[in-house]
Amino acid sequence: MIVIKELAKKFTVENPKKLSEQDKKDPRLDGRYFHSVKNVSLRCNKGQVLGLLGPNGAGKTTTLRMLSTALQPNSGSIMIGDIDVVADPVMARKKIGFLSGSTGLYGRLTGRENIEYFGRLNGMNEASIKAKINEIADQLDMHTFLDRRSENFSTGMKQKTSIARAVVHSPDVVVLDEPTTGLDIMAAKTVIDFIRDLKHKGIPVIFSTHHLDEVTELCDHISVIDHGLTSFDGPLADFVALSPNNLHEAFMRALHRSES
Amino acid sequence: MWLIFKKEILELLRDRKTLFFMIALPLLVFPLIFGGMFYFTGKAMTTSQTESLTYAVSGAQYAPELMAALESVDSLARIDLSGNLSDKDTVAGIISRNEVDFVLQIPNNFSNDVGQSGQITLKLVLNDAQLNSVQVRIQEVTDKIESMNQRNAFANLGVSESIQAAMLDPIIVQKVNLADAREQTGAIFGGLIPYFMFILCLQGAMLPAADIGAGEKERGTLETLLLSPIDRYKIVLAKFLTIATAGLTSALVTVISMGIWALVISVQMPMGPVVEFISAIDGFDFLLVFLMLIPVVATFASLLLALSIYARSFKEAQGYMSPLMIVVFLPIIVTLIPGIELKGVWAWIPLTNVALAIKELVKGTMDYVQLIAIFGSSVILAGALLGFCVYWFKQEKVLFR
Repeated sequence: MIVIKELAKKFTVENPKKLSEQDKKDPRLDGRYFHSVKNVSLRCNKGQVLGLLGPNGAGKTTTLRMLSTALQPNSGSIMIGDIDVVADPVMARKKIGFLSGSTGLYGRLTGRENIEYFGRLNGMNEASIKAKINEIADQLDMHTFLDRRSENFSTGMKQKTSIARAVVHSPDVVVLDEPTTGLDIMAAKTVIDFIRDLKHKGIPVIFSTHHLDEVTELCDHISVIDHGLTSFDGPLADFVALSPNNLHEAFMRALHRSES
Repeated sequence: MWLIFKKEILELLRDRKTLFFMIALPLLVFPLIFGGMFYFTGKAMTTSQTESLTYAVSGAQYAPELMAALESVDSLARIDLSGNLSDKDTVAGIISRNEVDFVLQIPNNFSNDVGQSGQITLKLVLNDAQLNSVQVRIQEVTDKIESMNQRNAFANLGVSESIQAAMLDPIIVQKVNLADAREQTGAIFGGLIPYFMFILCLQGAMLPAADIGAGEKERGTLETLLLSPIDRYKIVLAKFLTIATAGLTSALVTVISMGIWALVISVQMPMGPVVEFISAIDGFDFLLVFLMLIPVVATFASLLLALSIYARSFKEAQGYMSPLMIVVFLPIIVTLIPGIELKGVWAWIPLTNVALAIKELVKGTMDYVQLIAIFGSSVILAGALLGFCVYWFKQEKVLFR
């Protein structure tokens, strides 16, 4: 279970004078500080898939980076089960499988070596790494390219390897930042099926996306972030109910809730 | 930490670009460049000394002995040209049209009797823009005649041979050098060793440093690594060790390769003094030179890693690293200045003190107590910089610029 409460994060703006006119109008700008996340709360229970939505620059990635321990929040709390992510980040990292939006692979290593490396970093032994790689490769249809150097991978191959790398250590929770972006239909379907399988195993999954069809297909719960604030947080049915025949309209209404 | 280190080394070994700069360049390209320069310069010098040259003479009738001596030299061929060879413009025309390589102008007062003729000036007119050793070759001929004329002149004056020598060279300063050959040679070449080693260590470490810091950031693998359950200081240590290993390996490969190539060259060329100098340095001092390099490499690795972590991209990292070469260059160039020794303020300047200590080790005049102090202070400096790297690596504003 993941519980995020009243999370906030601000960054120092190196040179406020150099900001564009549009950036200067952002209400989150406060002198030399930019409040990327002002107040975000969400909860993802066991076996639940939470869809994190929001326009570009809303604060989704910053929220997920705080959840993954890459960034330290200025205030608020993040709990994964009974582990306080801020107080014990090393322990929290063992529990999380995280795929960031800018994830890369070590190009001079093969797909298998990339996954093995992160398995070892997570303290796994050789036998369990091997077994887990075979299991994931079956699910994500990776056997044909697993032993090739990843520098020559297509976008889909890279993303599958990245997902395998993120979950090789059998994490308690999985966080995926735009996992299907840039993928062709077949690769995207494989990833969606994989997330569904995680859900069936009872693993809480948070994933951010811009594809609303994926949201209805997978998610039990929706959180919408806008200008660093949670503008909508509720079950999928409540989200759809905002505009039952048009999901895009539902999304726009969820956004405007924070403005009202 | 070792897991990350092993992975970084594996990646470096699979990178053709890094391998080229770390192994192939020092192993093949540097020796080829230096060997090529050595070979072609030597060949050009030999050619210039043995090449057949043509010449014309004005006033040959005034110096029959000199002419006979010149004609006995196989590589010089006299050509008879018409026209006034004493005239400046005529001679200039002849030389510019390449009719001969040079013109020798002998004055009409030339005589073998020095007492009668006084000092004589022979004019050698040539285009001296090319390497041809003309003056040296003519001087070899005239020296013999000059010496003979001197002896005859003194004999005519009734001066004995011992007085002749005293008149020609009244005071001789004889140097009695107590320094052994190693110390003398070390004073001349000792400064070059740290100069090359430092530059090679830095150059060998630059590319891996840019790759495993900024390169990882650019490719998006750094963020993934940060999310693994490893303390960040261990990630820094692993990357630091990788950079230091690359720098040291590059320097050692270069030294070994140059040593091998020097041996190869010495088979065909006289390298006796160099071999004698190197064999005078005992193994213990070689080991100490290597040990002194370790804190230097650690300092470079820390500096490079700090810059690389800060940079957003591989290219930006290289932009930050290039000026570092100049910063490193300045303190070690000092060791090449004559008269600078491991004393006073020089013993306290980082890198300069290590470079001077290596020079002293090569000369065989190192005070080992002072060496321990320099080693210790260098280790402290490298440690402080590594500490800064760890601090730097924990800064969000650095990692997520």
